[in-house]
Amino acid sequence: MDYWNDFFRALLEQFRPKLEMDHIGEDILHAIVPRSIGSIDVFGFNLIISDATVASWLVMAVLLVLAIYLGRKPQRVPEKKRQQLAETLVDLLLKTCRSSNMTYEQAEQVIPYVGTIAFFITLTNLTSIFKIPPPAKNPAFPIALAVITIIYVIVMSIKFVGLKGFWASLTYPSSALLPFKILDFFIKPVSLSLRLFGNVFGAYILMEFIYIVVPMILPGLLGLWFDIADGILQGIIFTYLSITYIGEVIESAHDSKHQKEEQAQVKAKMKAKALN
Amino acid sequence: MDHGLIAIGAGLAIALAAFGAALGIGLASGKALEASARQPEIAGKIQAMLMTAIIFMEATAIYALVVSLLLIFAF
Repeated sequence: MDYWNDFFRALLEQFRPKLEMDHIGEDILHAIVPRSIGSIDVFGFNLIISDATVASWLVMAVLLVLAIYLGRKPQRVPEKKRQQLAETLVDLLLKTCRSSNMTYEQAEQVIPYVGTIAFFITLTNLTSIFKIPPPAKNPAFPIALAVITIIYVIVMSIKFVGLKGFWASLTYPSSALLPFKILDFFIKPVSLSLRLFGNVFGAYILMEFIYIVVPMILPGLLGLWFDIADGILQGIIFTYLSITYIGEVIESAHDSKHQKEEQAQVKAKMKAKALN
Repeated sequence: MDHGLIAIGAGLAIALAAFGAALGIGLASGKALEASARQPEIAGKIQAMLMTAIIFMEATAIYALVVSLLLIFAF
């Protein structure tokens, strides 16, 4: 019994400094401040290399290796597992694009970009499994992704429906909605970036808190949701929304064209009746 | 600034937003289940629409989360 008493006393002494609640806020603050590793001067600008930069470049390297491995020596009838996996992933993206009003050719044009951001965001969110802080906890990362995505959405939808069709989609169903539809293109990137940032940042802080308070067992269990499932979910949501944004423009351009044709038909009928 | 008040504010921000978001998601999911029970043949389409709706409702809670984190760490 003496042995156990000594053991518990030693354990308490070991853990007492960790159990004091005063340091937790400082520890978390220390964890969420972006760490800069170095900086380079480019044309007079001081570019900081933060931990997010290093993590995202690491993920890019992993992605490149994966892409080369999965896409090497494609066969007409896939026999190898890796080609089947690659085709399943592309097929999934194709189906999502097709279900949001794109034709097969349009979907094929959209997939390279959309697939890239899907796997990039998913893998960058998964870095927290290895205790590397996910780059999306740095607000610059999701904002940059969202701005690039909204520019891509506008460019691709103009490419698909033409400038005239894009204008028609802005003024459908009535031209009074024009300011709101333009405002929508500024709100979309804000909501995209805040969604990704808030989710990853919140999960990261919670996980840091749990690592500090209960360093055993519990982080592993909660990490299944906050590190893995939530990260994958955010990647899927970002991709799904950017596909939906392109699909929305195509759909309303199509609808407005349909409406104009119907109106023209009605007018023609009226004219014919008047002539008779 | 008073840290106790900031803590109460941050807690209230996320709690009220989570209440609203949970209510909205619950209502939408319930209606979607009803609809797909009535018309099982378009269950896939309803699920896709439900997902879009849930993403937007969930976003409000996440904005509140960002606000409350800002309250805690920025002040």
